Amino acid sequence: MVDVGSTKAGVWSRRDFLRAAAGTGAALVLTSPGALRASSSANELRIALVGLGAQGRVLMDAVLKIENVRFVAVCDIWDYALTYGERLLKKMDQEVRGYSDYREMLDKEKDLDAVLVATPDFWHAPITNDCLRAGLNVYCEKMMSNTIEGARSMVQTMRETGKLLQIGHQRRSNPRYIVALERLYKKGLLGRVTAANAQWNRAAAADLSWPKKATMSEELLHKWGYEDMNQFRNWRWFKKYGGGPLSDLGAHQIDIFNWFFDGPPVSVLAGGGNDYYPNHEWFDNAMVIYEYQTADGPARAFYQVLTTTSAGGGYFEQFMGIDGTLKISENPKLTALYREAHAPSWDEFVAQHLLRVPKAPPTSRSDEETKVDARETAALAAYELPVVLNKAIHQPHLENFFNAIRGEAKLNCPADEAFRSEYAVFKAIEAVYAEKMIRIDPEETIA
Amino acid sequence: MEKSPPPTDTLGPTLAFLVLRLWLAVRAIVAGIEKFAVTEMTQRPLLDETGAPDPSGAIVEVEQKIYAWQNYHGLPKALSLKLAEEPLLPKFLLEPFAACLGWALIVLGAMLLFGLFTRITLALQGLIYVMLTIGLILLNQNDGVAWLGIHVGLIALALYLARYNVLAFPRKW
Ligand SMILES: NC(=O)c1ccc[n+]([C@@H]2O[C@H](COP(=O)([O-])OP(=O)(O)OC[C@H]3O[C@@H](n4cnc5c(N)ncnc54)[C@H](O)[C@@H]3O)[C@@H](O)[C@H]2O)c1
Repeated sequence: MVDVGSTKAGVWSRRDFLRAAAGTGAALVLTSPGALRASSSANELRIALVGLGAQGRVLMDAVLKIENVRFVAVCDIWDYALTYGERLLKKMDQEVRGYSDYREMLDKEKDLDAVLVATPDFWHAPITNDCLRAGLNVYCEKMMSNTIEGARSMVQTMRETGKLLQIGHQRRSNPRYIVALERLYKKGLLGRVTAANAQWNRAAAADLSWPKKATMSEELLHKWGYEDMNQFRNWRWFKKYGGGPLSDLGAHQIDIFNWFFDGPPVSVLAGGGNDYYPNHEWFDNAMVIYEYQTADGPARAFYQVLTTTSAGGGYFEQFMGIDGTLKISENPKLTALYREAHAPSWDEFVAQHLLRVPKAPPTSRSDEETKVDARETAALAAYELPVVLNKAIHQPHLENFFNAIRGEAKLNCPADEAFRSEYAVFKAIEAVYAEKMIRIDPEETIA
Repeated sequence: MEKSPPPTDTLGPTLAFLVLRLWLAVRAIVAGIEKFAVTEMTQRPLLDETGAPDPSGAIVEVEQKIYAWQNYHGLPKALSLKLAEEPLLPKFLLEPFAACLGWALIVLGAMLLFGLFTRITLALQGLIYVMLTIGLILLNQNDGVAWLGIHVGLIALALYLARYNVLAFPRKW
């Protein structure tokens, strides 16, 4: 690797070079082989990861599959997680410096291009804002924050600093979702869409524990805002740190409603409660009804999150139109398209390899005999979506972020766009407690 | 007054036999060739309306039929597994039978097509269909038995009409 990363005055830093190369196509005017080598190493992005818990590790694994991106620093307040990350990266030949305080990391690391943030939600806004102000591009996990104000501050800092802020709603970069939206949904395959539903049903699970020898001191926990070790590990269930299951799981899927319907909802009605877990602050289960005003007319969307059962078909988002229905999930096995009997032919979409022909729907004479209602519609033929994602599920979203830094792409989920979706999540949570319908003015959803 | 014998029209039966011979030949050859085919999912870039790769970079899985020597399968896997469990079938015969089946269909089909030893060829084809029928009877697959029965009936008809055979060598066999 040719290091052009000197920060001395008068010498171009690698970051300056990268910025110029992306902005002006400087790479094109470089001719000598040596210079070309320099340009390829200059193309390498140097990044840090803050928060090495479950999701931090998933991001780390995905980044390791991407060329020309190198970890140079990692940060976690928990020694146990930090050591894990450092060791794993060392094994992968990535020499990193470890930090337990992200502010110290920002002080010392002067040659970073970007930071990935995967801490619990309540730390997203402070860390992201500080990183943006330090001149770095940020990929921050969803939810943007545990408060609307926190999320709004992130959008504002993004605008003030002119840096990139991608939010981790990774479905927005998943080619399966993009093709379903751009080449099927927007081309009118489903006809006018009047309804949607989505759900994430997850089996009951015990609270997360920790190795006793890795228990953090009370002083350290308090320094970083945690009550105790149990809350530190199970932060998702406590109001101080996160937004409960509607925010944890629902944020992804409610974002899909907004993305496909091309705007936020105009009202929300919701119910939820602490039905099972005795020691959680947030509700376990919730059911939400949104109303949308789409360009084609009104549409209603039902969202359900259950953390006490995995029955009912797992997790998916479904858009139901007059001519057909798209059921899509990050899990390809839960994805299908259903054509109504009266709908115009879908053959043209099959010919373009946008759909795969259905397996014949099971029918038998007894179906006719057991039909309860003469008006009952026949079972719909299920088409398959032939698009495959051969990558880690978060990889395309990270690639989009890195390509945007290089000036080669537009962010698929910039913070202002994510804010509009997450605002709808915040409002659903509010509706659970208000026990009434809440109207949403589209203006409110703009940060 | 004695009745005069009916005029001997051989053109009709000759053509009838030739058509039947052709059908049975093609049926066997193509069935044999199909034993070298598998349908696989292959991946390729999704194209947009202009034929360029879709901007999302999406990859689609497309079903594709591929012929290759190494794809040979005498009997479908599910079928041979079930047959292997049948106590009345000698297991040591199952594998050689499956190994020969595709080739036998192609060779016998080609012989029928070119009119070589027509009667013997027809009888051997009939024998193959009878052997397959035994397996399906044991598995209680009555649809398949009826299906093969039609083949056997056509072969019997062909043998009956074989006296009208032309374009063949040697005519006697
Ligand atoms: N996009 C997705 O599919 C997805 C999936 C799961 C989680 N997430 C998001 O990722 C984030 C992390 O979730 P998780 O499940 O990994 O949680 P986790 O509790 O497993 O990990 C959080 C890590 O952050 C560390 N940490 C806490 N405060 C910190 C601070 N101030 N500075 C540095 N490190 C700190 C903790 O020590 C821990 O190692 C959450 O925002 C969550 O919503 C996203």
